[in-house]
This record gives sequence, C-alpha cells and structure tokens, in this order.
Amino acid sequence: MQIKTLYPIAILLLVLVSCKERYYPQFQTTPTGYLVVEGILNAGNEPTLLTISRTFPMSGEGGLVFETGAMVTVEGSDQSAKPLTMTSPGNYQNNNLNLSAANEYRVRIRTTDGKEYLSDFSKVKITPPIDSIGYKANEDGVEIYVNTQDPTNNTIYYRWDFDETWQINSMYESMLIFDPGVAPPVRPRILPDEQITRCWKNDRSRSLLFASSAKLSSDIIYQKPIQFIANGSEKLSALYSIMLRQYSMDKRAYEFFDLMKKNTESIGTVFDPQPSEIRGNIKCLSDPSEIVIGYISATTVERKRVFISRPAGWNFFQSCETVVVGPDSAAHYFGNNIYVPISEQPDENNPAIISYQSGTPECVDCRARGGATTKPIFWPN
Amino acid sequence: MAVVIGTLKNARTGEPFPNVSIIVDDQSSVTSDAYGNYSINVPAGKHTFNIVGFGIRETLLNIMVYTDGKLNIDLEEQMPTLKEVIVSAARTRNIRNVQMGVSRLSIAEIKRIPTVFGEADILRAITTLPGVKTVGEASTGFNVRGGSADQNLILFNESTIYNPAHFFGMFSSFNPEIVKDVELYKSSMPAKYGGRLSSVLDINSREGNKKKISGSAGIGPVTSRLQLEGPLAKDKTSFILGARSTYANWLIDLLPEEFDKSKASFQDFNLGISHQIDSNNNLYLNGYYSRDRFTLNEDTLYTYNNRNISLKWKRNLSKRLQGELIGGYDYYKYQISSEDNEVNAFKLGFDIRQLFGKLNFAYFQSQQHAFDFGLSATSYKLSPGSFQPVNDRSYVIPDTVETEYALENAAYFTHRFNPTNKLAISTGLRYSLYAYVGPQQVSYYLDGQPKTEDTRNRTTAYEKGKIINTYSGPELRVSVRYAFTPDFSVKASYNTQRQYIHLLSNTTAISPTDIWKLSDPNIQPQIGDQASLGFYKNLRSNTIETSIEVYYRNIKNYLDYKPGATLLMNDHIETDVITTKGKAYGVELLIKKPVGKLNGWVGYTYSRILLKAVDGTLGNLINDGAFYPANYDKPHDFIVAGNFRVNHRFSLSVNSTYSTGRPITYPIGRFYYAGSERVLYSDRNQYRIPDYYRTDFSMNIEGNHKVHQKTHNSWTIGVYNLLGRRNPYSVYFVSEQGRINGYKLSIFGSAIPFINYNIRF
Repeated sequence: MQIKTLYPIAILLLVLVSCKERYYPQFQTTPTGYLVVEGILNAGNEPTLLTISRTFPMSGEGGLVFETGAMVTVEGSDQSAKPLTMTSPGNYQNNNLNLSAANEYRVRIRTTDGKEYLSDFSKVKITPPIDSIGYKANEDGVEIYVNTQDPTNNTIYYRWDFDETWQINSMYESMLIFDPGVAPPVRPRILPDEQITRCWKNDRSRSLLFASSAKLSSDIIYQKPIQFIANGSEKLSALYSIMLRQYSMDKRAYEFFDLMKKNTESIGTVFDPQPSEIRGNIKCLSDPSEIVIGYISATTVERKRVFISRPAGWNFFQSCETVVVGPDSAAHYFGNNIYVPISEQPDENNPAIISYQSGTPECVDCRARGGATTKPIFWPN
Repeated sequence: MAVVIGTLKNARTGEPFPNVSIIVDDQSSVTSDAYGNYSINVPAGKHTFNIVGFGIRETLLNIMVYTDGKLNIDLEEQMPTLKEVIVSAARTRNIRNVQMGVSRLSIAEIKRIPTVFGEADILRAITTLPGVKTVGEASTGFNVRGGSADQNLILFNESTIYNPAHFFGMFSSFNPEIVKDVELYKSSMPAKYGGRLSSVLDINSREGNKKKISGSAGIGPVTSRLQLEGPLAKDKTSFILGARSTYANWLIDLLPEEFDKSKASFQDFNLGISHQIDSNNNLYLNGYYSRDRFTLNEDTLYTYNNRNISLKWKRNLSKRLQGELIGGYDYYKYQISSEDNEVNAFKLGFDIRQLFGKLNFAYFQSQQHAFDFGLSATSYKLSPGSFQPVNDRSYVIPDTVETEYALENAAYFTHRFNPTNKLAISTGLRYSLYAYVGPQQVSYYLDGQPKTEDTRNRTTAYEKGKIINTYSGPELRVSVRYAFTPDFSVKASYNTQRQYIHLLSNTTAISPTDIWKLSDPNIQPQIGDQASLGFYKNLRSNTIETSIEVYYRNIKNYLDYKPGATLLMNDHIETDVITTKGKAYGVELLIKKPVGKLNGWVGYTYSRILLKAVDGTLGNLINDGAFYPANYDKPHDFIVAGNFRVNHRFSLSVNSTYSTGRPITYPIGRFYYAGSERVLYSDRNQYRIPDYYRTDFSMNIEGNHKVHQKTHNSWTIGVYNLLGRRNPYSVYFVSEQGRINGYKLSIFGSAIPFINYNIRF
C-alpha cells in the first residue's frame, strides 16, 4: 500500500528542472575584420552579384561593415578576366559574365588595404529545375517544402534561398482621408491610389538551406523543409507567396555550408558537435592562414514561385473596434494619427453634423503594420 | 614457515567477505581478496588472528599452527541493532597497500551519496572522488586524471561495458541492488588489466545468499528495482537476479525544450550464479543485459543495447597457487532510425562484439614474495556502420562500412616483494600484442603528406584471417611503498599503458551516436605513461586517513577531429582525424573519515589536461599547433561528502562540489551571411563557462531493526541541487530569425526533491 501512494507524491514534489536562459557576451573579442564573400558566379544569362563585407566584434552595437572600393575580377581558365563593379556599398555586380561550361572560373579580390584574395577554380554546374513546392499544415503551423530531382544524377548537392511576400489586410476599409487642406479636414479617398486596406510585406530566407542526395539511389530531394510559418502568423493572414531559388554545388561547398550551419544554427543541444573554425575556398595570397569566409561556385539558377492562401483554422486575428470622432476633434485625432477615419456617420438628430467612424492605425492603415501599399507586379488580382 | 589459507564468509548468507583484515599477533596484517580468500605465512606455533573489517563483528581467534593448512572463518555481520564498535586498528589498508591511486567504494558508501532523483548511482559516486571529473550533468562518461572518457576500462564481473549509461547519460546502467563493490584504479593499474590508458573501474556483483531466499525492492521517481537472491543448492549454489525498469517519460517534460515530444525508456537485468564444486573449485556465471530506447522529437528513434556474459572457474591448484580461467562475450550495439521522410527513411546501426579469455594465477611463495601472472586474449568484431533503407519506398542506398576484426593478446607477470615490513615493491610487466586482421580494404597514403583523398595512393584488399599489421609493446607497472611508521607511508609508481581501440566523438558529452574504431595501419594505438608520488598519513588511531598524490602523464596518439569531421559512415575515417599528444598533471588531496557517527571525505584536486595537434603535415593545425585545454579540463575541483548518523535509524548526507567551468570555443566575432548574423569561431577551448557549484542533501530513514521481522524497509528523502543554482552545462550562440542569440543551458536548473522507498525481505 505504501508503494502505491508514493508515486503520485514523488511527481508532485518534482518541479521544472532544466532551463535555458539568455546569455550575453562577456568576453572582449578583438575587432577582427576578416573578409566575408557571399554570392555565386551566375552561369545563366543573368547578373552576377557578390556581396563583400567584414566580420565585426561580438559585443557592441557595431553592425555589418561593407567592403568598399575593392577590385573584383572573375578569371577563367581560358585566361579571360571580367570585372565586377560596385553598384552600392559592398555589392559588386556584372550583368552577364557569359560563363562557358567548358571553362573553370575563380574570383580575385584586391581590397583597398592592398591585400589580394583568390578563390579556387570552380567548374560550371547546371542546376536542374525545381519540381514542386508544397506544404503541410497542422495545428502548429505550415511547413513549406521543396521537391526536386536531377534525372542525369549530376547535381547531388543542392542549395536554396528565397524571398517571401505576403499580403496583409486592414480590419476596416477606409473610404476617407485626413486632408488639412479642406474643411472639415476629411475628404473621400482616391482609390485605388490612396488605398490603405491592402499592403504587402516581404522578407528573405534567414537560414542556410541545402540538401544532398548522396546517400540515395536517385538524385532526388523529397519534401525538404524550407520554411515554417507558425500558426497565427500574419504571413498567412491573407495570401502568401514564396520565390524559391535553387542552386547546385559541389561536395566541398556542401561541407562548407554544413559546417556553417552546425556552428551557427543547429547548436545548443547536449550532443552537438563542438563548434569549429570554418574555411571556404578563398585564400589571402600574402597570408594563407588569414581567415576568409566564403565559397565561390559557378552555377545556373532555377526559380519557382508559389502562392499559399490562408489555411482553414488559421489563428491570426486582430482585436479592433471603431470609435466615433466628432467633427470638432477630427483635426486633433486624425492629424496626429491617433485614429484614422473610416466612414462618415451623420448625427441621428441633425444629419448636417457629420461625425466619423474611425479606428486605430493598426486596424485601418496597413502601413502602420510595416506594409507597403504598392502591389507587387507578380501579385494576382 | 607454514601457510594458512582460507575463506572469510558471512555466517548468515554464506557470501564471502572481501577487504577484511586479519591482524596476526598484532604485528602484520593481510586483507582478504575479492572472493574473501586470505593467505598467511607464519611460523608453526601459537598465534592470534584478530579479524576486523567494515560491517563485521570483530573476531579474535587463538590458533595453533602445526603445518600448512586451510581455515575457513565464518564471520558475524555487524547488525545495526548493536552498539557501534569503532573499527580502527585494522584500517591501515591505505597505508600498507603498495598500490596507489586506488579508490574503493562499498555499495553502502555509494548509497549514502545523494544523487539526482535519489537513485543510487555508481558512476556518479565515482565522480565524487579526487581526480575523477565529468563534463556535465548529462554525461555519465567520466574523466580520470586528464584521460578522455574512452580511456576507462569499465569491467562488470570481468565483462567490458561499452556504454555504461542510461537515458542521455543521466543514470548509470548498473543496478545498485546487486553491486557488491566498486574499485577504481587511477594510477598504478595492476598488470593484469590493460587496453585502456587512464583507469580501470572494476565493478563486482554479489554472489547471492547461499542460505535462504531473500531480496529487495525499491521504488523511486525514475526507476523501480527488484532484486532476488538465494540458494539453488544450499551452501553450494546461489543465484542473484536484478532487474530495473523505468517510467521516465514524464521526466522528459522536465528536460530542455528541444527534448519536447521525446520519449524514453530503459531496462537492465542481471543474473549471477555461483557454484561451489568442491572446496577448491568454484564456478561463477554472470549475465548482463541493458536496453535503452528513446525518441528525440518524434521522428528519430535511438536504441542501444549492452549484452554481456562471462563464466569464471576459480581453482586452488595448491595451497600456494590459485588460478582462475575466465571466458566471456561482450556485445554492444545501437541503432538510429527515422521514417519521417519516406524517401529518406533510414536505419543506421553500429555494433561491437568481443570474445575474451583470461587466465590468471596468483602464487604466494612467502610473506616476502608473491607472484601474479597470466594471459589474456580478446577477439574483436566491430561493425562501424550500416546505413539501410527502412522500407521499399525509401530511396536510401544500403551502405555498410566494412566490418573490422582484430585480436588483442597479452601476457603479464607481477612480482610482489616485501623485503622488510616497511618496504614493499611491486614490479609488473605486461606485454600486449595487437593484430588488425582481414578481411579488409586498407587505404595507404603518401608518406609525410596529410591523409586526404588526394594523397591516397593505393588500396589493398586483405583476405579473411590475414594479419594486416600488428602493434606490440611492453607495459611497465612498478610501484614502491615505504611505511615509515605504521600510520605514515610514501608510495611512488610508474606505469605505461597502451590502448588499441578508440572512441570517435566530436561532441562534448558522450553521445548516443559515438562509435568505436580499432587501430589499423593508419590509426596508431594510444600510448600513455604516468608517474605518481603519494604521501599517506592516518590520524587519530586510523580513524582519519589523509593523502596527497601528485602525478604527471603523457598521452600519445590521442585522436581529435578536423573541423566538420564526419565520423559516421565514413569509409576513410583516417582522413578526418588528427593525432594529438597530451600532457596531464595534478595534485589530489584527500581527507577521509571512513567510520564514526560523522563520516565522509573532503577532497581537492588541481589538475590540467592539455592537448596539442602534432602532425605537422596537416597545414592548418588546431590552434596553430599550440597546446590547448581538453573539453574536460577543469583545474580546480573541490568536494565534500559527509554523512552524519543521528541514530541507528536516521542519518543525514550532504554532498557539495565546486569546480572550474569547462573550456569552450568562444566566438571571436560576427559576420553576416545568408540573411543572418552569424558567429565566427577560431581558437579551440580558449574560454570557460562559469564555475560549477552544487550541494545535495539526503536523509535515510530505516524502519525498525527487529531482527526477526519478515521485511525491513527504508526511505531516502532528499534534494538534489539544494540551492537551486543554475549551473551552466553550456553557453552557446545561435542564429535565429536573422539575429544571434546567446543562451546558457542548465541541465538541472532548480532544486530537485526526491523520495525513494526500499524494502528488503
């Protein structure tokens, strides 16, 4: 009998045991400033864009440091040399390198401090098209995945990145606009130019996405997750779109991305590998031991865009209510953007006195939620 | 001179009593061995044998010795109902024993140490000893004097246990109810043991009650335990059976959130049969089975499994010569499977089997000279990895890394020499011979070049049974003791060791996916040596033992990994590892009060373990070829383990530990790549996580001690991590939603109360 009563007691006595707390950097690290090179040599008839930046210290507010004024050249095994020019700080571009699959290519970078960096030669790879993009929905959210394959079994190592765009709708459709030039300072909105009911937001992929079919009998990638949208997220409140780009790469590039992911994304469990130093295929010619982050590949790019509409049972909601603003207060409330007018509401007793149904900017003006009102050209309807 | 030999037995259960001292004529003393056997050399005539030891009633015998003879002695247990007797005169084992760096814990001591959830845990108890450390709370792997976790030979009734942990490493896989005692050799390893560099942990189970059926059962928050023992043939054959099972799934909810949606279960079983054929021959059969299953986040299932069986035949060949013949089979395997993605559905397996035989002899010539000698042979069969599709819809290509075979043989000889009562010298030599055997495809690389795909110049296929290469070498085991006075001695020892099997792990804690690798033409055996010096002084008529030990070790050919190394399913593992050499040194201070109302110990260790990548052909060496601290380098380590017996039914235990935080590789900067800020790592292990400090407390409450009642019960109630300190297990930085977030992970971040109920019958 004693034994039976004991077990529940033991459970009750237990409290939450483990925990994860935020940790802020506590050690001073030297301001290093190693070179970071991101991008691919585009082997299609498309622009090539390389972004060159520097590493920055762990602590402090210092952010991304772009490398400006560098001389960037793409060199071919056929002795060709094509320059990339800086179009904005840190971004170096060439509109069409016209790479040939018969040659190998590398990048030479001469920075303003006089150092020279050179990547290894890279063969030109052809990326197969994306098969399909699909998603699975459950109560936690929506997981978007990609399917792809190479019937010639030549790709094996795939990488992706994406841009995502989503529409957000205001709770109330505003037909009026505050205009201090008229009296009372409210006039009808000119639609669709002044609409604030539909906005679009966008973001890009923020984690490393890659996969390998090296252990499979066919060069197939099946349901590789590329993005997860938690249930209730604004992204699926109306319509969502993802533009996925697919790149092929070689085994060493795969190892480079895999190590970067292990070091910076999949870390924190008890059984993780120790973080370690990461090196790509770019070296400083005068000091080969200098850390340079980046891996240069030459490949074509494949793209695919899909739209996903709001799934049934999506938990997104806004809590909104309307308020009535009298004509005397309109200049104050609307002029200071405390409320946004929605529609006119004539007084019941005296229809000449016009009050305004209005709401907070978050409920009426989708720009207040970070959106832009310009409809992207690829957007339907 | 006449030789008196015999066995000390428990008069109630018939089980032998090890580690009991017989003081002859108040002058010299001998201690019974693991089987309760003793052997004394005395001149014919009248002698007094005073028999004293932990847990027995002191017995004084007056003996008339005419010639060589046998004398078995039945000893009465010290029943807790009796008034306490302070046993002090004989507690000089630490002074007199020629071996140094040996720690022995009885199961009674182990059970007094408070642990998480109150489950008595043998490996946790070991880590409270000076010189023994662990990387953190979720790892049962332990580090002895700067050795890595795979450099410990864990023997359970002579069988090698490859994975001594349950449940992510939180519990050791030995059932405390059947364990008799635990011995850890951390410096002078007896020559009969070999194959690992750092230590031997020798765990023995009890033989079982030879007189009547008895048992015990226990219930705790994580496991239930049952143990049953008794005679199969009275006074001749006995058995002991142990089983544990868990209901730990609820515990998962308490783990860090990445373990949400996980499930875990484990079991272990022990069976021991001991049979006395006649007064000179004994047989012991031991079996062990443990099983773990856990699912990490729904889709990936991990299982692992230890299976061991051993048979030992012990024979007294003459009054002076004793022999034992041991044979056994050890098996360890694990499997990982995932069926979440049907195209990629796989199962991955690893296993190791070893068949071993050992022949040991002990020859007792005289009080001055004794000899131990013997042979051992081990045959390994290791399957490094098999990667298979789970079903026909899976596209996974079946892949198997070729099975490895090897033989490891050794012969040893030890001379124990006591020229005077004060001086004792033990000289041991072990010679080990290792052969890597076909069938196997072996790759060879260009000399003086880093081993990579590009420098591989040929691959040779060896046929079955063909010896591919051999490694061999002597291992020296020398120790000297000089006892200046009966309660003060100085000991020195020098040892060399060789290790032919390596654990491949690039994680901090021993993980469920670590694999072992046999030495081959590309991977050399690890070689280590250790010199140590110790001072031992007993105070207050031997009720307080103090010691200082210092040591220095060298380790050669220890394996570390290249950044981003692939360890699983790698046909050419030699291209991903780096040979390092290590040096370890330290000083260990211990004050122990083994007996009395207040007992326990205080220990302090200062130690370092530094590694250095040595292969100059490798281009980028770890930390540019400088020495760097190993993952488990924790210089300061302080422990207090105390027990206070308020009365016969109630005792309190407190355990307190402090250590330097372990080293981590800390980021040296940030960079922006693929839409996110990320951290950049460089030099390995140059920073440390915050220091570790923890206090545990427990109370033992015994039921009443009436001797004739059918059952005895007891309760253990306590709190692990009494102060609720959030001791960090790790500090890490992760890129989330484009930003870097730093986290400090604690395994047990609050005080954990526990309660356990035990019943004996």
